[in-house]
Amino acid sequence: MSRFEIYSPEGLRVDGRRWNEIRRFECRINSHPTSSDGSSYVEQGNTKVLCLVQGPMEPALRSQSSTAQGSLIVNVSVTPFATVERNKRPRNDRRIQELSATLTRTFNKAIVLKNYPRSLIQVNLQVLALDGGLLAACTNATTLALMDAGISMYDYISSVTAGIFDGQTPLLDLNTIEENELGFLTVGVIGESEKLALLLMEDRVGMDSLEKVLAIAIAGSHRIRELMDIQVRNYGKHKVAKLANQ
Amino acid sequence: MEGAVAKRKVLSSGLTVSQKVFVRSRNGNASKIVREHYLRDDIPCFSQACTQCSELYQSDNGTVISAVLSESPSSLQSSNIGRHYVLLDTNVVLGAIDLLESDSVFFDVVIPQTVLNEVRNKSLPIYTRLRALCKSDDKRIAVFHNEFSSSTFVSRRSAETINDYNDRLIRTTASFYSDHLKSTGIKMIYITNDKNNLELALAESLDAMSLEAYIGLLPNSQELLDLLPTLRTDFSRSGTKLKFPDYYSTSRLLGGIKNGTLYQGIINISSYNSLEGSISVSSLPKPLLILGSENLNRSFSGDTVVIEMLPRDKWKKPSNDIVDEETLGSSENADNDDPESVISDRERRLLTQEAVKAQTSGNDDDRVFPTGKVVGISKRSWRSYVGQISARSVDKTQSSNATRSVFVILMDRSLPKVRIRTGRAKDLVGKRIVVSVDSWPANMSHPEGHYVRTLGDVEDKDAEQEALLLEHDVEYRPFSKNVLECLPKEGHDWKVPEDLNNGDPQLAKRKDLRHKLICSIDPPGCVDIDDALHAEKLPNGNFEVGVHIADVSHFVKANTAIDQEGASRGTSVYLVDKRIDMLPMLLGTDLCSLKPYVDRFAFSVLWELDQDANIVNVSFTKSIIKSREAFAYEQAQNRIDDESQKDDLTKGMRYLLALSKKLKQKRMDAGALNLSSPEVKVHMDSETSDPGEVEIKKLLDTNSLVEEFMLLANISVARKIFDAFPQVAMLRRHASPPQANFEQLNEMLRVRKNMAVSLESSKALADSLDRCVDPNDAYFNTLIRIMATRCMMSAEYFASGNYSYNDFRHYGLAVDIYTHFTSPIRRYCDVVAHRQLAAAINYEPLSIIHRDKTKMDLVVKNINKRHRNAQFAGRASIEYYVGQVMKNAESLEEGYVIKVFSNGFVVLVPKFGVESLIKLNTLTQSGAAKFDEENFKLTFTTEAGEEREIAVFDRIKVQVKSVLDEMTSKRKTQLVLV
Ligand SMILES: [Zn+2]
Repeated sequence: MSRFEIYSPEGLRVDGRRWNEIRRFECRINSHPTSSDGSSYVEQGNTKVLCLVQGPMEPALRSQSSTAQGSLIVNVSVTPFATVERNKRPRNDRRIQELSATLTRTFNKAIVLKNYPRSLIQVNLQVLALDGGLLAACTNATTLALMDAGISMYDYISSVTAGIFDGQTPLLDLNTIEENELGFLTVGVIGESEKLALLLMEDRVGMDSLEKVLAIAIAGSHRIRELMDIQVRNYGKHKVAKLANQ
Repeated sequence: MEGAVAKRKVLSSGLTVSQKVFVRSRNGNASKIVREHYLRDDIPCFSQACTQCSELYQSDNGTVISAVLSESPSSLQSSNIGRHYVLLDTNVVLGAIDLLESDSVFFDVVIPQTVLNEVRNKSLPIYTRLRALCKSDDKRIAVFHNEFSSSTFVSRRSAETINDYNDRLIRTTASFYSDHLKSTGIKMIYITNDKNNLELALAESLDAMSLEAYIGLLPNSQELLDLLPTLRTDFSRSGTKLKFPDYYSTSRLLGGIKNGTLYQGIINISSYNSLEGSISVSSLPKPLLILGSENLNRSFSGDTVVIEMLPRDKWKKPSNDIVDEETLGSSENADNDDPESVISDRERRLLTQEAVKAQTSGNDDDRVFPTGKVVGISKRSWRSYVGQISARSVDKTQSSNATRSVFVILMDRSLPKVRIRTGRAKDLVGKRIVVSVDSWPANMSHPEGHYVRTLGDVEDKDAEQEALLLEHDVEYRPFSKNVLECLPKEGHDWKVPEDLNNGDPQLAKRKDLRHKLICSIDPPGCVDIDDALHAEKLPNGNFEVGVHIADVSHFVKANTAIDQEGASRGTSVYLVDKRIDMLPMLLGTDLCSLKPYVDRFAFSVLWELDQDANIVNVSFTKSIIKSREAFAYEQAQNRIDDESQKDDLTKGMRYLLALSKKLKQKRMDAGALNLSSPEVKVHMDSETSDPGEVEIKKLLDTNSLVEEFMLLANISVARKIFDAFPQVAMLRRHASPPQANFEQLNEMLRVRKNMAVSLESSKALADSLDRCVDPNDAYFNTLIRIMATRCMMSAEYFASGNYSYNDFRHYGLAVDIYTHFTSPIRRYCDVVAHRQLAAAINYEPLSIIHRDKTKMDLVVKNINKRHRNAQFAGRASIEYYVGQVMKNAESLEEGYVIKVFSNGFVVLVPKFGVESLIKLNTLTQSGAAKFDEENFKLTFTTEAGEEREIAVFDRIKVQVKSVLDEMTSKRKTQLVLV
């Protein structure tokens, strides 16, 4: 049994949130203008992710180029100090590999790749701190950094996790403690629609509760899209103002 | 944990977020942990009198939050404190949970989250009890999440210890309530037993007092004061000599466990020798022994402890002596705690003897066990215990009712005496009482506890029965209202619907088997009929056989209150004259029970069996049946034997009997074991319900008829549900016995009888047991079977994902896979198996609680425990009644020696199924005896001057009588050598 009340009878979670509240979400776009074509920084609770995008550019190898459409490479690395245990994670850690593969699949469909034949788009994600919702934070950071790089996308992909407590109560945006206790899933929602670009289930979520969990996860993703959109628009205004000054 | 810093930031959602930073040392490494912590303004105070919070009560996704604290709480007349709520500190909840549960005190209570968390970390059982109390309407207890409320959260100061910080959080909450409730005129009294904290609270001008002071203000304080836990506020370490070594620090323990220098496990203290504990450690082939009270270091049997190994020269053999509190004869004066009494001289002598023995018998090195000492306790197994006050510790000359310390001797003899303080010691002598253990400081020779309640007089039937149930942790209280509300509204009038096409899709899936000639065969007087059978001959010469099981899962739906109650009880408990049901009577004895002549829902297993009882095919279906007759075993036997009976029902029964014999033969050929335990039945005089006589149960063919088909059904169902749910199927396994368990028995057989049992396979074991025959003694074979049974592992429930397929094996039944399906009225495993089978045949979806591996693990763990407890309780009940029977009738019986110690031996009397120890000092005055360990032989001179030799397996004459044990006030069998 957990050391904590994961969801108390009074309706509060380990960190004081209610079932349908997302964690603190903060993001910046164009966080590292000099070192990349597009960059972003996302904090979802205590999960902190930095994303740098290079491209579209000439691929280094011929094999990476296709005449029909551009190709996408996603690398994820986790800094040793990201988790409590500070273990070294090899690059080929299976979880990390799976994460890269999932992100690649998701954004292959989200980027208008046919606009970039014979080009390579490279996404590098650096995980600085880990406290649940890693795939979600990576997805959001990638969306923002791709936008910063001016790469055409069909729409925002906004992402968040949701789990189920006791087969009854769905909980939105899990932290590490909750992730360890509950079956949960990560969704990536396309823009303001209810279409999913990403759905990854970790542990089991029962069929009978899937609908509840999906509903809250989609609503949460919409909330995150709003917060990202505010940042993108602010940055846009700021940039326009800067251009006008010149 | 160490200093925390918190920055606060307000979010757009209205929440404030801060970071909790602390350093945790785990596995010996320190690591910094950062957790988010959200503060909110929408946590209500839960007072019905408060108008400010009224908008904060709302239903939130099914969680209904409402104000529970009364608008007009009780007031204290005897002081200037009027209407008030109380806020309890952690030490009060932990120590006085019994008081909190009583219905004479503590209403309108606030438990701050800080306290709840501390309680949860210190004791999960008390946490569970506290949470249960919060649910009850009449106690009016509210949990206030003070650490999530922006009005009561304070940040930890640098260099503030976690305890000081928690105390400050709680005081801040008390202070918030005082201010918040000012306009209502209701006061908040903060009750704490921590002296420092109390002073700080008073300095902050809070209404604070100690538990004792608060109870003293109540009108019924006299009766309540006894229930107070012992909390030594004057406890000081400096003046007193430590009687036990201190435990290691938590970080040293964790570090040690991680690097393999310390071991953790559950300690089991021998019921023959209270100074000998053992722990199975996965990394060692043999259990570690813990010898002597200093090494046991205050551990209770069942505690999870951390141990350190002793050097090799201190390794020993398990004791050949019997040691109990009586033998040790430690100080009986509970007030005067003589430091020298912990290790009595007698105990020292015993230890020395032991040490010599281990060193001198160096030739049989493999019988020496590694030893260790307890250096820390990870989890206490403390619960409520039943016992009685040691009359010797009560000063009879004292006239006043002054509170003083007395010893309580617990019924479980492997546990130490508990010291309690009471003013009613004299009234309580001769009563069975319940006590709680509070603490065991290193400077006390015995643990400290407090009185909880009285069950009744010693040897009073009801008191003894309740004691027995409490001791075995059996829930025997009547079913609660919300459990009973889950029963069908129609009650006893519930009927199978007449129209089977009434639009209910589940009903339409049932097979109508009412035309089948089904009957049930059970022990006489059976009211909860779980199973019924039928058989008929098919045109192709094969047989159709059906086993029909009560459809409990139709009435008990997963995750309802009734289901949770059933899951927690795990099994019905059968005592000699009382049955404690797992499910309410209405279901067990009526709606589910497959009574004759009425339509009932059932879950049926239908086979086609060929002439040799091989399965041609099997199917499973929910069904409707109508049993034609409910037979007792003997009745069924007579009907089968009566050749004049030629009706189809009797024919069916004859087919069943013939097939069952073939099934049994097949099982025996595969190596199924026929083990024995002395199953004793106590005949009750039906009018006075006094026990009349004792007899050993006898078995008829029809017993094994039913048994064989139940086994077959269980096996078929096990295969089906494992196929459908490979990770979580509810199964039952029986591991093959480790060689070591049989070492002693084999050695005894070899030395005394020149026989052996083989452990190569269950078949080999079964065959070798068959060969253990003494031509002059028909009972000898049964005796060996009884002793072999005790060397076996016990069967256990498990979820299929936890073992590989090879380990599913049921050794005793010699089958590769097994489950329990056939008694859902009285076993929870069967209910789970029913639900999984229903899902496997697409009857209805399977609830998450039986699909989730971690949840299943919890279920399995609990039912294994309940199953064991029920067996022990049943045995203890028989033991009690056998004692009552013999009270009136001493007799001379034949007995067998089954174990020999250096200072006594154990005799089993088959007629009553009782065994007892005969101590050497009751036989000889000189105490001089020769113990021949190699030959399991004890030679001594009786008081009459006659030389006697007692060896294992000897058949001896003993006088059987029943005596009241002076120490435990338990009636037990006493055997006297004749
Ligand atoms: Zn209020």
